[in-house]
Amino acid sequence: MGTVKLGENMEIKVEVIKKACSMAMKAHKYPEKQYLFDKIKSSSPEVVFSFAGSLSVHDWFAGGSFGDMEVDRRLFPSLKYVGLDEIGRVNEAFFKRFKAVLANPKFELEVKKAVDDRRKVVFTGHSSGGAIAILATVWFLEVNSRLPNFIEPLCLTFGSPLVGDRIINIALRREKWSRCFVNFVMRLDIVPRISLSPLSSIGHQLQRVLDYFNQNPQQPPADAPDFYETVVKNASSVANYAACKIMGSTNPLLETASSFIELSPYRPLGTYVFCTGTGKLVEISNADAVLQVLFYSSQLSTEEEKVPVAQTSLRDHLNYENYLKECLRTPIVTSLFHLHQEAPPVTSTANVDMDLNDLGLSERASLCLRAAEALERQKLRNQNTIDGKQIDIEKCLGNLEKYKSSCAHKAGYYDAFKSSDQKEDFHANVNRLELAGIWDEIIEMLKRHELPDEFEGQKKWIRLGTRYRRIVEPLDIANYYRHLKNEDTGHYMGKGRPRRYKCTQKWREHAEKLRDEFPGSCFWAEVEELWIRSGSQGTRESILQLKTKVEKWIGEEEVGDDVLLENSTFMKLQRQHGLAS
Amino acid sequence: MDTESSTFETTEMLADFLASTPLLSESWRLCNLANQNSPVGFVANQVGSVGYVAFSGTLFVSGSDPSFKNLVCLPVRDGAGNYLFVPLHDKNEGEEPVLVQGALLRIFENMYSNPSFQNQISTLVKTSKSVIFTGHSIGGTTASLAALWLLSYIQSNSANLSVLCITFGSPLLGNETLSRAILRERWGGKFCHVVSKYDLMPRILFAPLDPIGPLIKLLLKFWHLYMTSPHCGPLDVQRNEEFMAEIFQFVLIHLRGLVEAGEEAVTGMFRPFGNYLFCSGDGAICVDNAAAVIKMMYLLLETGSPSCSIEDHLKYGDYVGRISSQFLEKKSFMLGELPESSYEAGVALALQSLGISSQEPVAGPAEDCLQAARRMGRTPNLNCANLAIKLSKINPYRAEIEWYKALCDRSDDQMGYYDSFKQRGASKRDSKVNLNRHKLARFWDDVINLFESNQLPHDFHRHGKWVYSSQFYKLLVEPLDIAEYYRTGMHCSKGHYINHGRERRYQIFDRWWKGRNVRDEDNRRSKFASLTQDTCFWAKVEEARGLLDDVRSVRDQRHSALLWEKIDCFASYAKTLVEAKEVSIDVVAKNSSYSLWLKDYNEMKLQMLRFRPQFSSFMNGEIVP
Repeated sequence: MGTVKLGENMEIKVEVIKKACSMAMKAHKYPEKQYLFDKIKSSSPEVVFSFAGSLSVHDWFAGGSFGDMEVDRRLFPSLKYVGLDEIGRVNEAFFKRFKAVLANPKFELEVKKAVDDRRKVVFTGHSSGGAIAILATVWFLEVNSRLPNFIEPLCLTFGSPLVGDRIINIALRREKWSRCFVNFVMRLDIVPRISLSPLSSIGHQLQRVLDYFNQNPQQPPADAPDFYETVVKNASSVANYAACKIMGSTNPLLETASSFIELSPYRPLGTYVFCTGTGKLVEISNADAVLQVLFYSSQLSTEEEKVPVAQTSLRDHLNYENYLKECLRTPIVTSLFHLHQEAPPVTSTANVDMDLNDLGLSERASLCLRAAEALERQKLRNQNTIDGKQIDIEKCLGNLEKYKSSCAHKAGYYDAFKSSDQKEDFHANVNRLELAGIWDEIIEMLKRHELPDEFEGQKKWIRLGTRYRRIVEPLDIANYYRHLKNEDTGHYMGKGRPRRYKCTQKWREHAEKLRDEFPGSCFWAEVEELWIRSGSQGTRESILQLKTKVEKWIGEEEVGDDVLLENSTFMKLQRQHGLAS
Repeated sequence: MDTESSTFETTEMLADFLASTPLLSESWRLCNLANQNSPVGFVANQVGSVGYVAFSGTLFVSGSDPSFKNLVCLPVRDGAGNYLFVPLHDKNEGEEPVLVQGALLRIFENMYSNPSFQNQISTLVKTSKSVIFTGHSIGGTTASLAALWLLSYIQSNSANLSVLCITFGSPLLGNETLSRAILRERWGGKFCHVVSKYDLMPRILFAPLDPIGPLIKLLLKFWHLYMTSPHCGPLDVQRNEEFMAEIFQFVLIHLRGLVEAGEEAVTGMFRPFGNYLFCSGDGAICVDNAAAVIKMMYLLLETGSPSCSIEDHLKYGDYVGRISSQFLEKKSFMLGELPESSYEAGVALALQSLGISSQEPVAGPAEDCLQAARRMGRTPNLNCANLAIKLSKINPYRAEIEWYKALCDRSDDQMGYYDSFKQRGASKRDSKVNLNRHKLARFWDDVINLFESNQLPHDFHRHGKWVYSSQFYKLLVEPLDIAEYYRTGMHCSKGHYINHGRERRYQIFDRWWKGRNVRDEDNRRSKFASLTQDTCFWAKVEEARGLLDDVRSVRDQRHSALLWEKIDCFASYAKTLVEAKEVSIDVVAKNSSYSLWLKDYNEMKLQMLRFRPQFSSFMNGEIVP
C-alpha cells in the first residue's frame, strides 16, 4: 500500500491512516475502556492508541463561555510563549478526560513498553476522542522527545474539535512538534467549528446534536439549520477578526468592538487535511489559513442549500471511515502553501483555484488565504532583518567584554560603571544603550507576534541572549542603583528588571530545562539590596548564602570572577560583615 | 521591509466583522424601541455584561432653528458647575474652539439634566463592564455627545469601562476641531456611524440650509412621523416629488462643491469623526478617514435618486438585518476577473459590497477614494518599530547630556548643570550638549507628530518603553531648555517659562506619565534623586528670583506683601522638595541659582524682619488693614 505525502518531508502510510480511523471509530463502542490499543500488523513498527469520545455537553465545555483553562505547567511545561511567559490555554473538559486516561496506570505502562520496543506510537481519536489524542501526543512529546533515539509519535484525528489557543500552536511549532499532528476534517463537518462558539449561544442545541451523533437516527434534529447558522456566525466573527489582524488593519474600532463580545480563544494546531467531498484531500498547515477555511468553507452558495448543508454538516461527522476508504484508494493530497519555494503567489495558479473551488471557497476566502501566506512570509523577512543585527550585537558585546577586562585591574567593571567617571565608562554606556535598543525591538516583535513561531527555539539566539544577559545586565543594575531608581520604583528584581533580560533568561531556562531561579546576572542587584540592608538581621546569613551561590555561578560562567576583586562592592560588603578571608 | 506585497484592503473585512457581532442588530433593536415608545427619550437596557443606552430620534427642541446652522461652543461646565468634556477643550493655539450644532447639543443637555437619565446611566455604569450608546437619526448625535461625555468622565476618573457609540443615519455633529480632538484622544475607534448608501440625513449639514429651511422642516416632520409609527405605510411623499428633488439637488451640489474644493477643511463647517460604516443592499465597508468619508458620501449619493435618499433614512432595520445575515452566504465576485494584486482585489470586492459595479462612472473615483483612505506608507506597528530603532540611535545623545551633568556635578565651580549650561561659554563641549538638546527635541517632536496624526499604535502612549523614555528625557533635558530660555532673555519678551515658554511636548509627556497604570508609592529617598523630579523647578527658581528683584523695588506695602506671599510659598515648596530629596544634587550645589537665591532670600527676609517687625504679623494675617 502507498503513502500519503504531506508537505515537504512528511509521509504517512495509507494503512496507518485507515487503521487509525477504524480504531478511532471503534473506541466509541467501548467507552468503559478509555482507550484501545493495537498494532497494525504484527510485523509493522506502529502501535496505535485510540481514545473514545464523549457525547455529553459537560465533556465538551467545562463552564464559562468557552470552557478554557491555563494548561497544567507540570504536565505540559512547553506549552507557553517562552520569553513573555504567556501560558497556553486548553479546553478544560478535554484536559480532564485526558487526565483520567493518564491516571490509568496501564496506559502509561503500555506507552512505555511501545517506546522501549522502539515502535512508532500513533495516537488517534474521532470527535472529542481526537482532542484526547492531541493532548496525549503533547504529553508523550513532553516526556520522551529528549530521549536518545527518540521516535516521533504521530497524532491522527478525525473530526476533532479545537483543543488549544494560539499559544499552544506557537509552542508546538517552536518545539518542532507541530508536524506530528494531522487532523482530518470533512469539508462540512460541524464539530471543529463548534469550538468557535460560546456555549451560551449554542447550549440548548448542542446536547441535541450530540445525541444525534450518539444515536445516529435517520434524520438530523429539526433545529439543525439554526444550529448551523449560529455556529457559522460565531465562526465568522472569529475568522473576520483574525483576518483583519493578519491583513494588518490598525483601525482602533476593531479592538473596541472585540472587547464588547466573546471571541473564542481556540485556534487550529498542526496540519489540517480537508476532505473536499469531491474525492480530494487538501492539506494546510498554516493555522491562520486553517481558521479562515473553517469559516469560509461552511458558507452556502444559495439560501436553499441551508437545510441540506446543515444536515450534511452533522452527517459528515460520522462519515470519516467510509469517506477516507474511498479517498485513500488513490490518495492525492494537494497543498495550499509552498512557502519555502520561490513560487509565484500560489493562489493565482489554476490548480489551487480548483482546490479552492472544491473546498467551496469564495474570492474573499482566497484573499484571506493570501493574507495568511503574506504574513508568514513577512515574519520570515522580519527574522532575516533581526538576524542581520547579530553583527551589531556581537560588536557591542565585544566592546563591553573589552571594557570588562580593562576594568579588571580596578574594582571590576560593575563598580567602575557605577561610579562612571572615566571616558571609557561613558562609551560602555553608549554600547549598553545601543544593545538595549536592539533587544527591546526584538522583544516588541515577539510581543506582537511578528517573528516566526520557531524563533524562540533557535539555538543561536538563545546563546546570544545568554551572552548578552551575562555581560550587560550588571551594567543595567549599576545604572539602576547609581541613579537610585530603587527609591523610585523599588528594588531591581521587583519592577526594575527590563524585559529583555527576563526574556533571554526564560529562553535559556526553557531550552536547558532549568528551574526558574534567581539568575546569576542579577547577582549585583542582590549585593546592592544587602548593602542597603547592611547591619539588619539576617544580612550576614544572606551574604554567606550568596557567597556559595557565587562560586557555582562563576563555575557556570554566569558571573565573572571579577566580582571577587579586592575592592569590589561585594568584597567590601563581606568585609563590613567580617566575612572576608 | 517591503510593505507593498503584503498590503490588503481591510475596510470590507472590518465591516464584515462588525456585522457578524450582535452589536449592530442589538443596537438597532433598542433604537427602534426608543423611537417608538419612549416618553423620556431614551431606553437603557443591559444585555449580558453590556449596557445599552438608546436615544430617540424623534425629539424636538422647541424653538430650535430648523436650518441647523447654529454652531455653538461645546460647554465647559454643566449647570452644577462640574467640568464637562475636559479633554476635548485642550486645543492647539490658533485653532477654532470645539463647536457643535446648537439644537442637537440642546437635546443632549436636556437629557443630561434629567435626574432619571443620570440615575439610570450611573446604575448601568456600575453593573456593566462596557456601555454602548446608540441612536437613530437625531438620536445619533445625542448618543455621540453622551459617549463623548462619558469618555471624558472616565478619563478623569481612570475608571475601567469600555465605551462604544453606534449611530444610524446620524446628522453631523461638530467642526474640524472636534474631529481632531477625538483623533488626538484616540477615541476615533469608539464611534461607528452606520450610514446607508443614499440616506440624506448624514449629508444634510454639509449644505447651508437657510435657503431651503421650510423644506427641511417638512422633511424632518415626515421622517419623525414615520419613525414614531413606522406601520402607517408610505405617506404622501410620493406626491411631493418636486420638494424632494429640490432638497436632494441642493445637498448634492454643495457636497460636490466640498469634494471638489479638495481635502482642506473649512472653518465653520461640519466635519465627520470616527468610523463610518457605509452599507448597501450588498454589504458594507468601514472607513475612518474624514476626507474619504466626505467623498464617499458624495459619490454614493450621486448614484441615488431624490426619493431613495429620503426613504433610506428609514430603512436601517432592513440594512442591519441584511448585513448581519450575509455571513452565511458566499458572496461571489461576478464582475469579471479579480485583479492580480491583493490590494486591488480587496478594493474591487469592497466596491461590490457598496453595490457599485465597475461599469458605473463612480467606480473609478470610489476606488481612488478607498486608496487614499488607506493609511499611506507604513502601518502604525512598523512606524513604532522604526521609532524604537531611532530611539536607540538617539539614546547616545542623551547619554552624552547625562555625562555632561555628571561632569558639572563634580566640577570645582559647583554650579550644577543648570547654571553651567545657562552661563556656558563657547566651548566645544557646551555647544555639543546644545546640539544634542536640539536633536532630542526634534526626535520627540516627530514622535508626537506621528502619534497625533494616528500613525502609531493607538496605545502607544501606554507602552512602558515610551512613557519611561519620554519621562527620562523630560527630567534630564527640560532644565536645559529652561536655562536656554532665561539665558536668551525670552522671559522678558514672552513672559515666564511655565506659562509662556514651555514646549507642548513636555505637557504631553506629563500626561503620559500620569496616565501610566502604576500607583506612586511613597518611597523615602536616602540620597538626592539623580534628576530633579519637578522638571519646572528651575523655572520656578527663576520666577522667584524675579519676585525678589521686584520686592526690592516695590514701595507699596500691600503689593509687597503679595509678592512676599508668593516668594514664601515657593521657598517652602522648595524646602520640602529638598528635604524629601526629590531634587538632584545640582540644585543644592554651592553656587547653583537655587543656592544663591536661597541666600538672597534669607538675607532679605532677615532684613525685612529687622526693620519692619510689624510686617511679619501682617503677613500672618492678624492685622487687617
